[in-house]
Amino acid sequence: MIGLIYKDIMALKKQLSILIVFIFVYGGLCLVGAFDFSILGALIAVFGLTVPVSSVTLDEAARWDRYAAATPAGRRGVVAGKYLFTLLIIFLGCAVALGLMVILSLVGLTKALPLDLVWTALACAGLTLAIDAVILPFLLKYGAEKARIISMITFVLIFGGAVLFTGLAKDGIPLPQPPAWLLTVSPVLFGLVCIGGFVISYFISQGIYAKKEF
Amino acid sequence: MNDALNVSHLTKDYGSFKLDDVSFSVPGGTIMGLIGENGAGKSTTIKCILNLVRRDGGEITVFGRDNLTDERAVKGEIGVVLDESLFHDALTPTQIGTMLSRVYPHWDRGCYGGYLKKFELPEKKPLKTFSRGMKMKLALAAAFGAKPRLLILDEATSGLDPVVRDEILDEFLEFIQDEDHAVLISSHITSDLEKAADYITYLHKGKVALTGAKDELLDTYGKLVCSRSDLEEVDRSLLVGSRVGQFGCEALVKDRHAFARRYPSLTVDPVALEDIMVFTGKGDHQ
Repeated sequence: MIGLIYKDIMALKKQLSILIVFIFVYGGLCLVGAFDFSILGALIAVFGLTVPVSSVTLDEAARWDRYAAATPAGRRGVVAGKYLFTLLIIFLGCAVALGLMVILSLVGLTKALPLDLVWTALACAGLTLAIDAVILPFLLKYGAEKARIISMITFVLIFGGAVLFTGLAKDGIPLPQPPAWLLTVSPVLFGLVCIGGFVISYFISQGIYAKKEF
Repeated sequence: MNDALNVSHLTKDYGSFKLDDVSFSVPGGTIMGLIGENGAGKSTTIKCILNLVRRDGGEITVFGRDNLTDERAVKGEIGVVLDESLFHDALTPTQIGTMLSRVYPHWDRGCYGGYLKKFELPEKKPLKTFSRGMKMKLALAAAFGAKPRLLILDEATSGLDPVVRDEILDEFLEFIQDEDHAVLISSHITSDLEKAADYITYLHKGKVALTGAKDELLDTYGKLVCSRSDLEEVDRSLLVGSRVGQFGCEALVKDRHAFARRYPSLTVDPVALEDIMVFTGKGDHQ
């Protein structure tokens, strides 16, 4: 499994480097006031959503899965490797973006509190985890091309929904208010849904992959 | 001599094609050549051994262990070379070695590095700069690096030039010097198998048309070369298939020694594996 993760990192070395450069470029743009620092959080989602899809695209191009399934890693190892790689990418994206945000906050370049930035980064990471939980089973069953469509639909539904509700609220249209207790536990609940969804997704993918024929 | 691989009554039904009751075994210290025309079931058989497709029936054991219940352990004993190099073009041989060292339990860095040197493969260059022959050599180095006891090769030598093919066949011969090692190689380049294989299994339309020691098969079968009138007088049950030309006829004889006793005036030449394949195919059409 570690070998398969190493393979993904090496095969995507160029793309990962470009994405890290992106974070620093956007960090610079935030410094000059072109963007809010929260944009760095969005880059976590870009990391976490594009890299696993690229990894599967490269696997498909090389027909790698056929070989990987024939090694001792087997089908289970391929799926586990892909999920761990996704987690690693989200974690790394989160760590780099968060590190940058907190440093800039500590040196007084943003008014946002470091703790708020931590919550922003974690919320972005959680959301990315949840979207990946939806995409990965499709990715492993249908391949990168079809999964990209699912990815876009999921992305539009979540972010479109958020924009819609925000717009409605701004226009003064009354929206059903969640109970107070739900608002209090919502960060924990959100975290549990994201992590739980990712775990369930993992088992679904294992089931899908176990039936796959090469 | 223990069997390295045992395939027993293997069945896989795709609807349009069925691998039907395939049985053969590969004894330790030997090379088994799996031959057959395109679509005969060679790759399906290998995929079933590697559990890349689900079998519908039968049993497969590798060194006495079931390939499904002991899948991980079994795959740790197998080095695989498929019909093309399946490594990513961006990777270098060194990176592939590092990756596989974490995948195979008995990975031997020295052995892998030795084969890279032996095959003159640049260790630091990405695979996209490699020719097909170089990629296949790399796949072979990776298979040897896994320190397998059983090597499985699916059309691995197809598309390679004769010099590279010969080099690779030499490696197989060296590999089976250890009686605990064995090779299963599928190919429709029968001349390669005539050089290297000890046993042959011929798959025809998803079934085992014949299996056995190569030398025995080549000694038993024969090619009758005669005139059309001579062919008409021969008992057809002794023949597998025939080819009638303008200047003469050829036919595959099942048992050339028995045939020679019955028809001493007719000439029966030794056969090549290719003749057995071609005439068996023709036999179907007649």
